[in-house]
Amino acid sequence: MSELTWSTKSPRPRITLTPSLGQNHPDDHHMALRLEGSAKETLEQGRNRLVMAGVIFAFCFVVLASRLIGLAISGIGGEEAVASEIDAPPPAAISESKRAEIRDRNGVLLATTLTTASLFADPKKVINPKEAAARLMTVLDDLSEATILSRLASAKNFIWLKRNLTPTQQYQVNSLGIPGLYFREEEKRFYPMGPLVSHVMGFTDVDNHGIAGVEKYFDAQLGGSDERSVRELNLSLDVRIQHALRDELSRHMSIFRAIGAAGMVLDVKTGEILGMVSLPDFDPNRPGDFSGDAKFNRISLGVYEMGSTFKTFTTAMGLDTGTVGLKGGYDATEPISKAGFRIRDDHPKKRWLSVPEIYMYSSNIGAAKMADDVGPKKHKAFLAKLGLLEKPSLEIPELGAPILPPRWNSLETMTISFGHGLSVSPLQLSTGIAAIVNGGNYINPTVIRRDEEKMTPVRQVISAKTSDIMRRLMRLVVEKGTGGKASAAGYLVGGKTGTAEKAVGGRYKRDALIASFVSAFPMNDPRYVVFAMLDEPKGNAQTHGFRSAGWTAAPIVGRLISRIGPILSIQPVDEESEAVQKAMFIPINSREKKLASF
Amino acid sequence: MKLNLTVISLVLVAAVSFGLYQLSYEVQELEKDLKVLNKNISENKESVRILKAEWTYQNRPDVLQALSSKYLPLLLIAPYQVASVGEVPYPQVDPEQYSVPVPRHHPRRDYSPVMPLPKGPIQLATFTYEGNLQ
Repeated sequence: MSELTWSTKSPRPRITLTPSLGQNHPDDHHMALRLEGSAKETLEQGRNRLVMAGVIFAFCFVVLASRLIGLAISGIGGEEAVASEIDAPPPAAISESKRAEIRDRNGVLLATTLTTASLFADPKKVINPKEAAARLMTVLDDLSEATILSRLASAKNFIWLKRNLTPTQQYQVNSLGIPGLYFREEEKRFYPMGPLVSHVMGFTDVDNHGIAGVEKYFDAQLGGSDERSVRELNLSLDVRIQHALRDELSRHMSIFRAIGAAGMVLDVKTGEILGMVSLPDFDPNRPGDFSGDAKFNRISLGVYEMGSTFKTFTTAMGLDTGTVGLKGGYDATEPISKAGFRIRDDHPKKRWLSVPEIYMYSSNIGAAKMADDVGPKKHKAFLAKLGLLEKPSLEIPELGAPILPPRWNSLETMTISFGHGLSVSPLQLSTGIAAIVNGGNYINPTVIRRDEEKMTPVRQVISAKTSDIMRRLMRLVVEKGTGGKASAAGYLVGGKTGTAEKAVGGRYKRDALIASFVSAFPMNDPRYVVFAMLDEPKGNAQTHGFRSAGWTAAPIVGRLISRIGPILSIQPVDEESEAVQKAMFIPINSREKKLASF
Repeated sequence: MKLNLTVISLVLVAAVSFGLYQLSYEVQELEKDLKVLNKNISENKESVRILKAEWTYQNRPDVLQALSSKYLPLLLIAPYQVASVGEVPYPQVDPEQYSVPVPRHHPRRDYSPVMPLPKGPIQLATFTYEGNLQ
C-alpha cells in the first residue's frame, strides 16, 4: 500500500507518494492519504465538533422520543383530574346553578325554577313589522296588535316582546319563522300549587331573590352562595291538609261573608305546622297582581285580641298555681264594675259557677275573678312562659309582635283573662294551646320538617296533671258547652270558642267581630291543634243571625277535622263507649238548683 | 446496518406520530361527544323539571277534588268505615245456603314433601358420617 502524504508544514505544500515499505506487491494498488500538520489538526477538530453535536442531538431526540412513547402509553398523569373536571361538575353545575326546589313534607313540589324562553326582537332586522305583528298576534294573544307593532317599529335594536313564554308559545313563535325575532333563556320561579301555600312560601323578585316567606328566610340556602351550595328545602306543610284547610275556610268565609279568614294545623308533639292559611291570599306566581291585604299573613303577622280562647290559659293558670281547684268556683251573679269598665257575661247564668262551668259557659266574670285571684304578676309571668308576650320565632320573616297593655295591673289582668287588652297572633295562641294540651311542654313551632330525634329543647310550662284536666275541660266545651258545632264524630275534638270585638281606633266596634275557635284532637291523646278564625263574620238564617264563634268558627273546625283525621291516620273512637267517656270524665260540681220533681 | 437503523427509526417516528395524532383526534372526537352528551343531559334534566312541575300542577288538590267529586262516588270517610284488621269479623258460613260438606280434616294435612337426601358424606358440627346416605 503506497501512501500519499500532504504536508502543510513547509511553506510550499507538497504531495509525496511513497511506496509501501517491505511488501512490494505489484498488485497492491491501494493508497492512503495521510495528512500532517495544521491540516490534520483542523480536520480532527471539525470531526470532534461534529461528533459532539451529533451526540447532543441524539440525546435530545432520545429524550423526546422516550417522552413521546411514555406519553402515548401512560399519558400525562393529569387526565383523570381533567376528566373528572369535565365529568363531575356539569351535572352538579346544572342543578346547582338554579335556585333549589321547595317541597312539602311528603315530597310534593311546591316551588321550582324553570328555564323559560323570553322573546325579544331586533326591530332593524324585522322586514315587515305589520305582517310580523299580525302573525305574532295569533300566538301571543294577551298582547294587542298595536303594542307589538309599536315595539317592532321602534328604532332600537333590542326590544322585549314577551318575557317567559310557555314551551308551546315558543314552539309556535318559532314555527312562524319571522326573521328578527330571538329568544333568550331566563330563569323563572314557578309555584305549581298556586295560591295554596302562598303565605308560608312567599315569593321572589325578577332576579329570583326571595322577598317574602321561606323564600326570603332561606334565601341563602335556596339560592346558594360562595360558601354554601344550594340545598332543597322540605317544609313541614302537607298540601292535602293545607288544601282541606283552605277549602273549608274559603267556603265558610263566603257563607258568613267574612272579610278574612285564617287557620292553622299544628303538631303538638313536634311543633311542626302542617297547614297555615290566611285568606284572602295571593298567587306567588304573579304577586304583583294582588293587593297588600292579600299578602298579609293573618296567622303570623296579624295580632288580634283573641277573646275567650284566653280563658284556657286563665283556667290552666288557676289550676296549675293551685289558686283554685276543680271543685272551686266564683260567683258570677253580678257583673264586675271596675275603673269605669263593666265586665259582664254574654250568656249570663246569674249564679255561682264552678271552674268547669266558667270554662264551658265562657263566663267573663268568673275568668276575671279567677285571674285576679292569681294576681297580675303571676299572670304576666305565666303568659310569658307560654311565649305570648314576645315576638314568636318561626322561619318566615312576617312575624307580628304582641301588643301588650301599657300597664299590667288588676284591671288589665281581669280583661286579659278573657282575651281583651292583649293582642297576640293566632300562631302564638295555637302554640300556647299546644303546650297546654300536650302535657305542658312548650315547643317552638316550625315550618320545616323536623325529625323527632332532633327535637329542640322543650320547657315545661304547666304540670302534666293540669294538662290532663285542661284536655277534659276543652272536650267538655265541645260536648256540652259553646263549641258543640266543632264536634267531629269519632275524633274527640276539644276546644274553646273565642269571640272578640275588633278594636278600631281605640274603641271596640260592636258590629265587627273576630270569631275564632282553637281546638285539639283526639282529646285522649292530643296530636294536633287546629285553629280557625273568621274576620268580621255576619250571621245568616242558618245561624239565626248569630255570628259568635260557636256558630261561625266552630263548624269549620268540625268539618276540617273529619276531613283531615283520616289523612293524619288518627284512629276514630266510639265517643259513647264507656272507656272514652271515663277517660274524658270531669266532675262539673254545679250548684245549680234543679227543679224538684214531685 | 446504519441504513437499517435510520429506516427503523424513521418508521418508528412515523408510526409513533401517526399513533399520537390518531389518539389526539380520538380525544377531540370524544370531547365533542362528551359535550353533546352533557348538553343532552342538561336538556333532559330541564325537561324532567318542567314535566315534574307540570305533573304537580295537574295534580293540584283542588283539581283532584273537583275530578273525584265529578267521577267518583266517594264522600268523607265516616268513623265506622275505619277499623283495624282485628276488628274485621271472620266470614260466617250459612249452613242452609252452603250445603257443600266441609271436610273434617284439611286435605293433605299429614302430607310432608319428600326431601331428597344430600349425596355423599355429611358433616355436621358435632357429627361426621363418612358413608353415602343413599
